[in-house]
Parts: sequence; structure tokens; C-alpha cells
Amino acid sequence: MRKKLQKQIDRLMVAGATSVDARWYPVEETSQLLMWNGNLKNASSSRESGIGVRVLYKGAWGFSASSDIGNLKALFDKALDNARVAAERVTFPVRLAGKVPIRASFISPNRIDPFTVPLAEKIAFMKELDVQLNQTGVTQRICELIFIRKQIVYLDSEESEIEKNIVEVFPTIQVMGVDAQGESHSRKFSPSLAGATRGWETLDPQLFSENGARIVREMNEVLVADVCPKDERSVILLPGIMYLQTHETIGHALELDRILGYELAYAGGSFVKLSDFGELRYGSSKLTARANATLPNSPGSFGYDDDGVPAQDNVLIDKGLLVGAITGRQMVEEANDRIGKTIFNGSSGANRATALYRVPIERMTNINIDPGSDGSLAEIVKNTEKGIILDGDKSWSIGSNREQFHFATDIGWLVKDGKVTGVVKNSTYKGETVKFYNSLSAVGDTSTWEVRSVDNCGKGQPNQIMQLGHGVPVCRFDNVTIGE
Amino acid sequence: MKELILQVLRDLRTYALSKNVEATFFYHEEESCLMRFANSAISLNTNEHLIRLEITAFEGRKRASYEMITDLNKLDEMKQGVDIAAEMVKHVQPLNYQPTVPVYWETFIDESVFDAALAGIASEERLEYFNQAVAGLETDEIKLSGIFSSGVSTTAQINTRSEHLQYFKSSDAQISIVLAHISLKWEVIAEQSAQKKTDLNPLGVRRDLTFLLERYRHDTPQQLPLGRYNIVFGSAAIGDLLNMMNYIGFSGGSMKRGFSFIAGDQVGQKVFSDKFNLTDDPTRLETFPFQRDHMGISRKLFPIFENGIFNAFTWLQDDADEFGASPTGHTVMHKSLVLGGGDKEVATLEELVNLPRENDLLYIPFLHYMNIVNPSKGLITASSRFGALLLKKDGSVAVPYNVRITQSLLDIFGDRLAWLSRPQAVNNTSMSYGARNPTAIVVPAFIQVNDLEISHSNSTY
Repeated sequence: MRKKLQKQIDRLMVAGATSVDARWYPVEETSQLLMWNGNLKNASSSRESGIGVRVLYKGAWGFSASSDIGNLKALFDKALDNARVAAERVTFPVRLAGKVPIRASFISPNRIDPFTVPLAEKIAFMKELDVQLNQTGVTQRICELIFIRKQIVYLDSEESEIEKNIVEVFPTIQVMGVDAQGESHSRKFSPSLAGATRGWETLDPQLFSENGARIVREMNEVLVADVCPKDERSVILLPGIMYLQTHETIGHALELDRILGYELAYAGGSFVKLSDFGELRYGSSKLTARANATLPNSPGSFGYDDDGVPAQDNVLIDKGLLVGAITGRQMVEEANDRIGKTIFNGSSGANRATALYRVPIERMTNINIDPGSDGSLAEIVKNTEKGIILDGDKSWSIGSNREQFHFATDIGWLVKDGKVTGVVKNSTYKGETVKFYNSLSAVGDTSTWEVRSVDNCGKGQPNQIMQLGHGVPVCRFDNVTIGE
Repeated sequence: MKELILQVLRDLRTYALSKNVEATFFYHEEESCLMRFANSAISLNTNEHLIRLEITAFEGRKRASYEMITDLNKLDEMKQGVDIAAEMVKHVQPLNYQPTVPVYWETFIDESVFDAALAGIASEERLEYFNQAVAGLETDEIKLSGIFSSGVSTTAQINTRSEHLQYFKSSDAQISIVLAHISLKWEVIAEQSAQKKTDLNPLGVRRDLTFLLERYRHDTPQQLPLGRYNIVFGSAAIGDLLNMMNYIGFSGGSMKRGFSFIAGDQVGQKVFSDKFNLTDDPTRLETFPFQRDHMGISRKLFPIFENGIFNAFTWLQDDADEFGASPTGHTVMHKSLVLGGGDKEVATLEELVNLPRENDLLYIPFLHYMNIVNPSKGLITASSRFGALLLKKDGSVAVPYNVRITQSLLDIFGDRLAWLSRPQAVNNTSMSYGARNPTAIVVPAFIQVNDLEISHSNSTY
């Protein structure tokens, strides 16, 4: 198959294409198990295979994909035809930043391939958890396991040939209860990616058991708690919500295609301008953020992106100053051209497609916040006069340029004069992105730093669901409005 | 092609029966084309042809599914899928209720939503639509974005309980055109949904864009003071609100799981304004309807709210099985929601702007990134986007920066609902996640809701 694909790539180059690549998925498998109140509501598996072809012709992209690999010529020709039509309306002819041809492979680190684990064993794992979650106050208990295994062979007209074999595991447990006012509340747990591998071995029964007991206890505390006050105070975000804050207001805001207006028709743009790089104080000096696709264990680590560029570790925000973006090969060229100087020195290796039938676009890798020097959670709380600790991603909503946001969390703990004084329910906070990050007053040390995975980040048209990660510490922000 | 699809499904049924496997088969085929524009260029032009087959095996109270992307000429591969599903179901645990396996009493073929002309639309025609819709509107600062998504969706079903089949074929197009100021970062939008080629109306889209551009190019933008406003929502915003209600309102399964703001004992009670009439109406072709659900239940007009009184929950078959409810014919890829019009004769934005008014009105055509803050209260939050206007009581118009509302659906559609326009609009709500599933909601072109709070107001675009 590889030789057949290369032959088609060569043929289109002769026909006038300036770049051609093909992603052949010999197999992508997904297995999903959902147990709800003890019922195995969903036991499903899926299998996909096929080829996606991307062609650059006279500065315009064309794409075609099919599960039918019996007529490669037609598939490649369709992609070229699409590019020819697209070339009739070009304002900035697409150029691709340089890269080194790579012949390599990447295998995600796993000790136990979850697809080799018998279905009955997986169900037994869930059943045991379900029994443990079946406690007083719990009206709904949910256990979900998602496993993904994919093999991707990438070839292009620049002599690259890369094979990736990636396995991902996404487990979640959740409990829900109803308070005296008839309102539902929930608490959930997804493990941080603590180890060096990401296979079945990450499903540690002891870890899930301990955290299952914790979320049941905390949810029951929420059920009898007072409503979150409406005022201004410090918010201390635990990794269970800090990851999402980072995702929405740093990650999405710094995707270079979004900054350049390529998402305006759908999920919106970014308040960031090209002139902001090297100039904008995005946050306080305690904020250093990076896109690190080289973490050993995260869905945001994939070896090589779908432009055939190696994974990288790039600083986005350096001690509060905006310095970098999430990019592929195309956008850096256009950005540098638009601003008339070199602000990006090549692709950051972040162009990815979610499936064989989708085109690669700029996606987050692992968008992380560096740990700080303000100690443990206990030390941060001790140094907080009036605050609230927040955790759990109940709801998130951001402005169309990522300039403002509103989050609701599963739980809040009020802090007064350095001490936790009690739990509150219906906790929310809101803010304006730059003002919020400039109010960052404490960043927890490595003891508070966790890598959280995201299995459902949506972007693009046609829409693409992507998996990625966020390594974040506990962070405290001051003068934040809560309770609305 | 239809006969081939049906024959493959019959062959799979025969194979499953020969293996003593109880199974249902769901076939989904899409021919999707998407032309995407950004920065006044075509940023992407795609084609995807994908065939998905989902096989669900049953064994008493046990159930397991296997889905594959495949080809019609790969019958052996599909048969292997039957074997895989059959093997899976042996190892899963039983449900504590009996899942229903459908029985189709007749073969049902429906191609009424399919238009060959729209299905065959070429890339060049899609480009020409855009060129007409934005002719003369782009500048060095105002750039075109948007999509022209079109395609054909074919679904077919069979099961081992009966030899009959169901087959549905539809054509659709979803057009969204955005003109954005690249340095000021404002955006205006016009959209269109099409079920047949003759629905396409680039000049109508151009009219809407032209009107909004005039305002945004020449009027001074302003930050709105926080407080309470009378708000007119456009059809896209109304569609988004109803979609959210579909999830946390009248779904029987959501109600039973504590994820609804409507309680089980509220059937027959007044929940919303007496102006509020919501139906699921599978006779409306604009909604790309299914006349039968996956279980073979014939779908008829289904009133959900009549004069604000809650008539009934909608039930998926599986939720009905679990909670002992009667299925309502809603085991479908999407409903055909229709919000009845009111008595206000206003069909276009220009007519809305020219209406005499006693108070300022905030017009919000789109709600961005809506999410659920508290499902038990129907509390949602979202920001305005794409061409909001402040229609002042003195007849003048101002351009507001975007604002956030955090409000309950009970308030939005309750007694604060001042009026609904009589003319309706088709709001295409299709998502391009996963398999193609053209979806649209028919709603009044505008509704006015009084006394809603703005909880955040931007100081820039």
C-alpha cells in the first residue's frame, strides 16, 4: 500500500500539485463502555480504516477521503480537483514552513494494550466501582471507559514516511445526588496521568476506590451546603478546573489559525493580535505556559504531527509575556508575512487531524502551566485572606474571542483568614482573560502539578474531536467575581 | 444503489439468523462536501464518502454493538462484524430491564427529503453562491469567512425479528457566511438552510449581510451598562435555546436522571408562557424528518407544549424500557422541532429595526458557546455574537459590544416572553461531529423577551 500511495503522490506532483500528503489508517479502533446505575448501557466497539489525501495546488488546499481504498486514483484526483476549484479564490497563497524529511515511527508508551484485556475483565472492573459508588445520597452513578487504538501511516511529497501506533485510555467515574431543594449536583473523577505509560495498567483499582469514596463524600457535603456567595474574592483553582481554564483561555486563544481568522465562521476568533507577540502581558510574572508535546504520557504527545513535523516543547507565555503560539506549517508563513517580520521560526508541530476523513488543523498538544514557588495547596490556602477553592468542570462558556469567560464548578470550599471554613454549592466564577491572568498571585509547586487529559476538544468545520492534555498546578487569582 | 444497500442488509440478516444471532443493523452512508472560506479565500474544499454499519447484538437482557466503516462490496467484512458483536454480547452483563428489539411490520422507503439537484451541486456552484452573496461587500479590512456544507445522507435498517426494512435518503445544505473586520474584530453573519436546490437564495443572504454591514461600518460601538434589558432573539439564538431545552427539558431520560428542569409531575401543568407552542412535526420537510423512528414507530405530529402547558416528555426506546415508560417515536437521529409563530408581523431584521418601540431593545441574533450552569433550574449561560444591535426607543440604532446572559429557560420562555413573530425561519442546527445528520428547527424569525439581565458587558469587540 505504501508504494501505491507514493506512486499517487508522485503522479499528482507531476500534474502540478506543490505538496501532497496521504494519511492511511490501516485501522482505528474505539471501545466504549458505559455503566449507569449498574446497567451496562453501552458496550460498543468501532473500527475504521481508509485514506485521507491533502493536495496543495496553486496555493489552495483540496482534500478527499474514503474508506474505499480500491480506487486510489479517483481518490487522489478528487483531492486535486477540489484544490483546483479552491485555487479560484485565493488571497494568500498557502506556503508551508520548511521541515526535514523524516522516516520514523512513534509508539505511545503502554505496558498493557487495553484491547488485549478481555471484555469481561473490563466490565468486572466497572462493576466493582459501581458497587463502591452505591452509597447513601447517590442517585446516579456513572462509570465510563473509553479505549482508542490507531495506526496511522503518513507519506508526503517531501519524502517523509512516518508510522504512528497510539493507544489511549480515558476513564471517568461520576456520582450525582439531589439536594433538599430538588437540585442535582455531581462530582467526578478522572485520574491524572501520573505514570510513564498510558495503557490498561493506569486503571489502578486502589486509586479509583479511594477517589470514588472521596467524590461520594464531597458530593454529599455539597448536597447540604449553602449556596455560593455572590461577591469578589480570590479563587484557588485545583487542577480539576485549572486544566479547563487553561484549555479555553490560553490554549484556544493561542491557536495561530484562530488568531489569523480561520475559525471566525464557527467557534470564533482570538483577542490576541500578531502584534501582541513579544509585547502583551498576558499574565502576571508567575505565569509561564508551554505547549509540550514531549510529555511521556499524555494524549497530547503523539511523536509527529500530521504535517510530518516532530513533537516539540515550546514556551507560549514566559513569565507573563506572550511569546509563542500553537502552529502548523501553513500558519507561521502567513503570520510572518502579514506582520512583515519573523515572529515564528517554523512550525511548532501541532497540526493534527482527528480521523482519516478530516483535514489537519492547529490543535493543542499538552498546554501546560509550569509549577511555581508558592508551595503546596495548604500553604496557598494559609496565605489567602478571603477566597474560595474550586474544583470540577461543571460548565464552561467563553466569549467568541476568548476574551471573557464564565465557569461553574462541582464544588467550592470557602477560605477565610487562611482556613477552609466550609463547602458551598452552585459555585461559579467569571472574568476577563487578560485581567484574570494578570491577577495570578500564587502558583503551586510540583506537589500540586497534575496532567489532565481531554478526550473531547471540538474545533473546525467539518468538526473534529481531539484528544490532548494539560499539566497544571494549583493557581490562585485575586479579585474574581463569583456566584453569578 | 438503493437495491444494493437493501440486499446487503438482507444478506446480513440471513447471516445473523444462520448463526442464531439476534441483531439489528443500522446502515449510514454520507456523501459530504464542505467548502470553507476564511480571509476571503477558500481555505478548504473537501469530499468525504463514508459508509458506516452498526450491528447491535442481543442475548436476552444483554446488548453489545460493533460499528465499522466499510464498503458495500465488503460483505465478508460485515459478516465478521456480526461475529464480533455476537462474541461481545456473550461477555457483557445483563441489563436490569429488557431492551426492546424492533419489529418492522412493513418495509418503509422514504426519499421525500432527497433532491437530486441539490445532491449533485458542484464545487463551482458553491463558489458562485458565495460570490453572489458577498458581491461588493468585501474590502481590505472586511473579509469573508463561512461554509457551504452539502451532502446526501442515507440510512437503512433491518433486524432479525422481521424481514422488512426501513430506508431514508435526504439531501441538505447548510450555508453560513460571515463578514469580519480583521482589525476591529467584529463579525456579522447570514445563514441559510436548504433541503432542495431551489431553496438556495444567495441574494437573500446578501440582503441581510448588507443591512448589518451598514450598521457595523458606520455606527459607533458602545459598551452596554449592566442591568436588565428587553431582548429580541433572532432565529439562530432561538434554535440554540430550544436545542438546549431538548436536552435538559422535555427528554424523559434526562428527567429521570435528574438532568431536567421539568419534573415528572409537571405533565399537564403550565410551565411557559401561553404564547409558547412547541411540537415535533415530522411532516416539515425543512427539518429533514424521519417518518419512522428506529423502532419502526410511525411518527406523527407530537405536541410538547401547548399554550405553555407541558404536554408530554419524549422518550428514547431504551429510556422507556429502563423506566417503564411508553415509547413516543423519538428514537431518531434528530427530532423535527417546530416552535409556533405568534402574532407579530416581522420577518426581516430591517422590519424589526423599523418597528415602533416604547423602550430600548437589545437584538441578539446568535448565542455563542452556550452551556448549562444548573440543569435543575434550566440555567444557561452564553454570550451574544454576530451582529447584535441596540434598537433605541428614539428609533436610532447602536452597535453594542458583546454581552453575556446567564438566565433560566424558564424565564426566557415564561411570562417574560412578550411576543413571537408570525413568520417563521428555518434554523439549520446540523453539527458536523461524526456521521452526517442534517438537522433543522423551524422557529419564529424573532421573539422578544423582557427584563433579562446582562451579567457581563465587553468593553471592546
